[in-house]
Amino acid sequence: MRKLTRREIVKLASIAGAGVLLPREVEAFGGMIDAIVNKMSEGIKGTVGKDIEIPPPLPGVKFGMVIDLGLCIGCRRCSYGCKLENNVPDTINPPYIMVFQTKYKPGQVMTESDLIDKHKAQGTLKYTRLRHDRMYMPVQCNHCLDAPCTKVCPTKATYKSADGIVMMDYNKCIGCRYCMAACPYGARRFNWSKPVIPAENINPLVPIRTDGVVEKCTFCVHRTRRGHTTKCVEVCPNKARIFGNLNDPDSAVSKKITSERNFRLKVGLNTNPNIYYLTDPKRKPMRWMEPLPLDMNIRGLKS
Amino acid sequence: MKVIKDALGYAAESLRTAGLKYYIYCFVLMIIAGVGLSGAVTALAEGHYHSNMSDMVPWGILISGLAFFIGLSAGATMVGLLIHGFGRDDYHPVGTRAILVGMMCIFAAMGCVMMDVGNPFRAMKIPFLLRNETSMFFISSSSYMGFMALLIAELVSTVYVTIGKAGKRGKKIAKVLGIIAVPYALIVVHSFTGTIFGVVKAREMWNTPLLPVHFVTSALASGFALVILVTIITSWVKKKDLVGKDTYNHMGIMLCFFLIATVFLDTFDYLILSYSGTAEGLETWHIFTGRYLPLFLINMVGLYAALIMTAFKKLRTARGLFWSSSITIIAIAAYRINLISIAQLVPLYHELGEIQYVPNMHEVAPVIGLTAALMLLFAILTKVLPLEDTGH
Repeated sequence: MRKLTRREIVKLASIAGAGVLLPREVEAFGGMIDAIVNKMSEGIKGTVGKDIEIPPPLPGVKFGMVIDLGLCIGCRRCSYGCKLENNVPDTINPPYIMVFQTKYKPGQVMTESDLIDKHKAQGTLKYTRLRHDRMYMPVQCNHCLDAPCTKVCPTKATYKSADGIVMMDYNKCIGCRYCMAACPYGARRFNWSKPVIPAENINPLVPIRTDGVVEKCTFCVHRTRRGHTTKCVEVCPNKARIFGNLNDPDSAVSKKITSERNFRLKVGLNTNPNIYYLTDPKRKPMRWMEPLPLDMNIRGLKS
Repeated sequence: MKVIKDALGYAAESLRTAGLKYYIYCFVLMIIAGVGLSGAVTALAEGHYHSNMSDMVPWGILISGLAFFIGLSAGATMVGLLIHGFGRDDYHPVGTRAILVGMMCIFAAMGCVMMDVGNPFRAMKIPFLLRNETSMFFISSSSYMGFMALLIAELVSTVYVTIGKAGKRGKKIAKVLGIIAVPYALIVVHSFTGTIFGVVKAREMWNTPLLPVHFVTSALASGFALVILVTIITSWVKKKDLVGKDTYNHMGIMLCFFLIATVFLDTFDYLILSYSGTAEGLETWHIFTGRYLPLFLINMVGLYAALIMTAFKKLRTARGLFWSSSITIIAIAAYRINLISIAQLVPLYHELGEIQYVPNMHEVAPVIGLTAALMLLFAILTKVLPLEDTGH
């Protein structure tokens, strides 16, 4: 048998290698081209949620929320409920509602500057057990009256609706993330990859977003404009959250704001948030439980 | 028709007589551009999942690249002003190249934006189909298109003047374009790019009315440094000085003045930050001088070194200016990254803990690829366009 020369061995190996690798590479490249063509088509047409009807704003209504920190036990049920209700994929992490464990005790009278520790990064988002001697602080989109995100959006993809909700038009969002840079509350989330939600978890009333767009809390617009409350309010086991019409002086939210000590986040920035935090001490019994787990692998945060 | 025919003939002749080194240089740039831009194609197909950007740091190296490249484009307009506004005819051999450099930088800046946004195809609807007049992003991105149109018009008119086809009217048009490009670039383009960040009250480091001024001065310094660098490298490649010693000296003095303004603003910006009574200000200072100290040092030490170098007449030679210009560009690149990406590491809630961002190859490779692609385009355009006038 003739001995192969080095040149022939290299040649044969190259042909064999190409035979094995090339079809995969070609397939991957084809998949990539398909994805780009789809993105182009979606980018131009904008079909997200076209088949879903969102009710118009209710006249004379300005939605707002009150969160009673004396009652919040940090169980993260609001966060989970919100995620399931609004078709938020697992790749969005942290979820719309972040709950922090503070170093303050229940019943302690606090101000905003007490709660938001301004001296050292604490990293108390990723707590794994509930503590009786700690207060908890959920944060989310504040649906500001003077929302910085709506001013900076180059396409009006995010806008302030007449009922006070800061809305998103996913078909106008170019994914520049200016709104995220401008939001003082860190309330916006970007789809860094294609969102995947199990079919059985999909809420048909809420559009499923695409990759490359920003999304956020909408005060469960598909519920609240139909006369229901938000999901986070519904699932809170301790009734720490109240949702309602701030224009109505007889609504529960208005009464709470006028009768109890409260604050809003970062008011110095003149964003006029529509979420109020109650800080008066509460002596109500609390149903202490384990928190629902949080995926600790949060993009951008030290693990 | 005859002009086009002549231009094509000139281009073909130039490419035919270009040496082997030129083609090797172009080939290497093509490879780098291909590899780098393949990263951009992957990001386009799969999203920015592989990047290190996050909901905490939404603007990474690509937006820093936008600010950096936009700044670099300022040099083109300054040379135009020197020639047409101040009658510095010794800058003529640099004029067309400076416009080309400016154009490439604008392309690079817009390329960075398009690679950064999640929906680049939809972004093309700006400004006609999608717009929000209160958005600084909208205003600046629209202004970049105007700037690009202005530079293209300036390039065409300058080339006409160079080849001697422009009449009295053509020369006047070139002059007018050269002069109006300066206020347009400084007041509209660079100021509004700074305003993109300046209006963001959520971020301590950005929210200052001085940021647009800072952007203008740093743009002038880095842009003029790039023009100097291109002049020197072209002279070395061609083995003949494009400009004389006096012009190099003048270039050095100009760069020195731009550096004084930039160093002044940078120094006091950081100084005030370090004395800041606000928690966010102090935390920004600690991040700059702690975890990201090398970047901070490249920025500050680089600017001071370049300033000192350009202050001495002995160092305002081609060789001296090569180093001072290179250092200026690197120092201002570090400033852009610090200001835009690193300043976002201050958590919006301290309860979030330490935020991290270091750009990875998925972000850096497209920027390198884009730079290589535009260097390649620049190499081709400088070859095929008649730039070799020595004053007219």
